[in-house]
Amino acid sequence: MSALLPDGFAALEPFVARWAVPGTAARAARRGESSAEEREAFYGVAKDKLLPALAYLDGKKLEAFDAADNRLMDMMLSLAHVALAVEGLGDDEPRHAEMRRHMQITRSPAGV
Amino acid sequence: MNNIASTAMPGFSPVPAESVAWLGTAPVPAAPYYSPAYYELEREAVFRRSWLQLGHVSELPEPGSFIRREVEVLKASVLLVCGRDGQIRAFHNVCTHRGTQLVEAEAGRAGNFSCPYHRWSFSTDGRLLSAPDFESFGLTKEECALPAIALEICGGLIFVNFAPKISLREEMGPFADWLEKFPCAQATQFSEYVYEINGNWKLTYDNFQENYHLRFIHPRTGGAAVSDENPFGYPVKYGFHGPHRTQTIWSNPNVKPTPLQAISFGKGAQFAMADGLAGPHARDYLALFPNFFVIGTPAQSFSHTIWPLGPERSRGVIRLYWKGEDDCASRRFAREYALASARDIHAEDRAVIEAGQRGLSSGALKYVHFQVQEALCRHLFNNVNERVEAYKAELAGGAA
Repeated sequence: MSALLPDGFAALEPFVARWAVPGTAARAARRGESSAEEREAFYGVAKDKLLPALAYLDGKKLEAFDAADNRLMDMMLSLAHVALAVEGLGDDEPRHAEMRRHMQITRSPAGV
Repeated sequence: MNNIASTAMPGFSPVPAESVAWLGTAPVPAAPYYSPAYYELEREAVFRRSWLQLGHVSELPEPGSFIRREVEVLKASVLLVCGRDGQIRAFHNVCTHRGTQLVEAEAGRAGNFSCPYHRWSFSTDGRLLSAPDFESFGLTKEECALPAIALEICGGLIFVNFAPKISLREEMGPFADWLEKFPCAQATQFSEYVYEINGNWKLTYDNFQENYHLRFIHPRTGGAAVSDENPFGYPVKYGFHGPHRTQTIWSNPNVKPTPLQAISFGKGAQFAMADGLAGPHARDYLALFPNFFVIGTPAQSFSHTIWPLGPERSRGVIRLYWKGEDDCASRRFAREYALASARDIHAEDRAVIEAGQRGLSSGALKYVHFQVQEALCRHLFNNVNERVEAYKAELAGGAA
């Protein structure tokens, strides 16, 4: 396989290593340990890719996803967590991350 | 904050004081929120005699499915099992030979349950099937069945009662029909997050029964719940039946969602409508005595159970209910966002509840105070205290 992500999503490739994270709890943890710069850089590029990504992925069954599709899905799911920090909490995120640490995710349809 | 309290609220009227005056207005004693002696009384007076929410039918999907639940407040281990006949039953997770915990796994599927100690073997409906050298005991197998615990299912939720005096549905009255119309009744799976907290179970629970704190504790995550016309986000209605209670959550007409919030909640709402989850209780909160509540919001319906672990320690279990599998990327995204956003808000609550416990546990206060819009907190205390006082009288009568 040549590309990390499906066609049309090359702009997200620099963020694959950091944000294509399998598992809901792991994604939440990644948000919690990330820096504001990392979150803002990812959010800045990914937010406009969300609807195109979901439209593309909705064209397939989840079971039919290939590795590139799964990375794109996991990145969009990471975006759900990151957006709460960037759009909502702003500079309160570090304090909030400490409070969130106690809320252990134990079950998710997307896998923990 | 006096300026907020005096702000006119055109278009919204809080529930008037007169309608909840029957609950009383006196200060409430502080000791029940930290006293070990009071906690000991609650264990028997409240938790042993109440219907306790332990699970959801989706956890027991087929004959042989089982889950083990620890109920620390009663020092009990409970086995919930789906029998071969498809019926869900509850048993003490205790071998009837000499009390060994029968099942160690948290969940699974089994044709029978075999005690690790001496291999007594039980069926999924609790019967003793076999025991090595059983004839040496001089017992019948019927005498040695697993001790059953009363179980009822309502709205897809599994409740047990260790010493029932009244059926769950009878006790719930009209709220049983409510619960059958909540999204949890149709759910086939759920997301879950769990926290432990240095907080008394009532203090913890009370946080989620009043909106007075919203604007102060959730200034960025809970903005949708408040506005100029309803600066505290107070509910529009309260309701009571026996020890149970409801509130109808106010709908803010001026919500300004963030960009991803709009996308995610928009998709979640579309799925909920398509799935037939938009029932009559979309804005209702239903609290079932003693330690459970559920919110009917179709796209983010969740329940919260608060388990006492000690007088000053509890565990919260929050579940968001989903109908159907993740059948597409958009549904998966909407569910992930719903989980993460709810968790953000609850994380803020946990921190301030612990601060409250530290203050109460110092013994500095003889009383705490509930205002009109904290009526549900007062209702919980009243019901707990009635049971504790009755139990004390029962003990005194027994001793006389």
